[in-house]
Amino acid sequence: MSEKLNSKQLSKKITDEYMEDAFRAHENGKLIGYSTAISPVELFVAHDIVPIYPENHAVANLTAKKGAQLCSITENLGYTSHLCAYARSDLAYRESGITVTKGIPEPDLLLACNAQCFTLTKWFQVLARKGNLPMFVFDTPEHIMDKKAREEIVKYCVLQLKELIGFLEEVTKKKFDYDRLKEVMKYSAQSSILYKKFLDMAQYKPSPISIFDALIGMAIAVYRRGTPECVEYYQTLCDEIQAKVDQGIGVLPKDKEKYRLYWENLPVWFKFSDHAKLLGSYGGVILTSLYVHAWSFDFDLDKDPLVTLAENYVSVFSNSTIEDRVEMATELFKKYSMNAMIMFMNRSCKAVSFAVPTLKDILVKRMGIPALVFESDMGDQRFYAESQVRTRIEAYFETLDRLQADNPAA
Amino acid sequence: MWEDLNLKQILEYAKDPYPSIRKWLKDKGKKAVGSTIADVPEEVIHAFDCLPVSLIGTDKPLKKAPSRLPDNGCSLARSNLELALSYEGDLFDGFVLPQVCDTTQHLSDIWRISFPNKYVESYLAPRQVDRPSARYWVKEEIERLIASMSSWSGKSINDTVLNDSIAIHNENKKLLQEIYEIKKKNPGTITNKQFFSMVKLAMQVDKAEFNKTLKNVKANLKPRKGKNYTDVILVGITCDPPEVLDLFDEIKLNIVGDSLVTGSRYLQGIVAQNGSPVEALAERHMKGGFFSPIHDNVYKHFEEVKALYKATSAKAIIYVHIEFCESQEYDLPDLKKMIRQEGIPMHVLDTEYQTVSLSHLRTRLQAFFESLKGGSL
Repeated sequence: MSEKLNSKQLSKKITDEYMEDAFRAHENGKLIGYSTAISPVELFVAHDIVPIYPENHAVANLTAKKGAQLCSITENLGYTSHLCAYARSDLAYRESGITVTKGIPEPDLLLACNAQCFTLTKWFQVLARKGNLPMFVFDTPEHIMDKKAREEIVKYCVLQLKELIGFLEEVTKKKFDYDRLKEVMKYSAQSSILYKKFLDMAQYKPSPISIFDALIGMAIAVYRRGTPECVEYYQTLCDEIQAKVDQGIGVLPKDKEKYRLYWENLPVWFKFSDHAKLLGSYGGVILTSLYVHAWSFDFDLDKDPLVTLAENYVSVFSNSTIEDRVEMATELFKKYSMNAMIMFMNRSCKAVSFAVPTLKDILVKRMGIPALVFESDMGDQRFYAESQVRTRIEAYFETLDRLQADNPAA
Repeated sequence: MWEDLNLKQILEYAKDPYPSIRKWLKDKGKKAVGSTIADVPEEVIHAFDCLPVSLIGTDKPLKKAPSRLPDNGCSLARSNLELALSYEGDLFDGFVLPQVCDTTQHLSDIWRISFPNKYVESYLAPRQVDRPSARYWVKEEIERLIASMSSWSGKSINDTVLNDSIAIHNENKKLLQEIYEIKKKNPGTITNKQFFSMVKLAMQVDKAEFNKTLKNVKANLKPRKGKNYTDVILVGITCDPPEVLDLFDEIKLNIVGDSLVTGSRYLQGIVAQNGSPVEALAERHMKGGFFSPIHDNVYKHFEEVKALYKATSAKAIIYVHIEFCESQEYDLPDLKKMIRQEGIPMHVLDTEYQTVSLSHLRTRLQAFFESLKGGSL
């Protein structure tokens, strides 16, 4: 890796090489393994299986506003319009070949971890049926609050990781290398620490990054964790953002940064930059969400790799109780000095969204801050009412302005 | 309370079992523990001297649940939450709620936060059953439920108590199976609505009492073949509102096989009684009859449905789709394709709890069976 590349260039280089490797996997004697974004992909990396994330590919298409077109194709195949837009756009890509990227290679095997949601399991089952392919479900029971139950859940997950290793050995006809896994874990742990450091730079005032930077910055953590290039990328990124901090450069100038916002849920991918501009015009910057923190793992290299993998993947925010999500969000509110929140009810993501009304009520009460709640879809523009969302955002900032005028010290 | 019901009373109680449950609990001084379908071992709850009540929605209007679960949530989950929040919450001392799908991912959290003074426990059945770890985990979860119930109730149970509970539940399922067999062969004897109301009520009331009713009903049934019935297979999770069954009866459909959680998947849950009851309950989970969209693949579903169709010489399959049930919706396009490729006539009924008008379902159902009789679909 060249030390002269900036993070953007490095990201492009890593991504290009990764996709090149993926498209040539079979030539190089490797298999393609589809994986859900939050799953113990370290086992794939350690076993020389090229991980491909259909969710990432879907994000590229949805961000490029292809959602409505692609989702309609899938609905014509008999699927309903309220299924996840990632799944609908992906199934449409397979039917039509439509994509704004070069596409993704077909899988040889699939790994679905249900710590994110159950939808991914069902979606991957459709893909597995299509290609008559082997699929492994890594079942992560909800990380409930009982300490003893958590220990048992981790044991169950470790058992499954052992089964996953057996599954990989059977599919690839190759012995799993535990020493290689330890090496991969080392990279994963290092990059996770750096990724978290990058996200946490949003605590500076003015914040040098917004959630939109985080969403762009998280891509490498999603698809290249467990590799040295991932570590290099986040080191470069952290250095760049630190330089901004040192110079006092913020997303908004310090005197314009009035509202530091928390965002709940995945983003509305196709409104990404519009939202940033609109909020900026009101002096608002969305700093973070639990979603972007989902990849800031805390691997303990002194533990058995399978144990620390199980502990980390089972306890991601989407698999945690609402009470724990409240604690996680509260910690972010305090750390980042946030004074506003947007709670997005994402039609595509039931697993995350159905907790939002309850989460919102508790957070509003606890933080003493009003919340903006709006319902739409992360990828299907047909469920996005432009004027309604804009009006609500405007009204929300008016409320915040009024509250601030009434209580300038707050 | 439920030991000497006639068919008319069974229909009435099944439509709204809660007044009778409320009275029974008061008379007996017992506690009720509700659970949503499908995997919670009710025998464990019963062994703790509580009344296990399967929550299967309400036909009353939604008032509070939409503020907790939006309109794209499974209508059964919303209906159950409403049932507890607005109508019958007071009669339950606790709830044991399984995590099965995305709608239920945080459901027990929502219930726990909504009912801070009640016992609310999660039941985390494995969402895979093909590997040894699943069996390990089912057993762990059953043992955790026992420990949790014990801690809450201040009581402890042993294998004998649990086996006694299992025996009562097994008898209940066996009696229902026997009545089902009579009904399948003699559709003029009892209606679809009457039979499935029996199953539903069995899932909600005291089995020891209701078994007496079932014995009486069975003894007094006068098998009648009836005329012009069309045998069908009913596929799905639940079949609600119950008036849908009236539609089947109206056009003389005879359900001769089903894969419903509120039907054969429940009836097939007889537990072996020749060893450790916890092991036996785990075994039931692993070998549970009929497809579960949570941990089985569509091929299994297709093969089961096809086998049932052939074994019963049914004329068609009716698939009951619950609106916004993603678990069904990812499977349905492929399942439809497989069934149609096999040349099996299939009709999909889209249902939703709280539905008040069934006229569109009636029209579509009538059209389907008219075309079936005409020989072309």
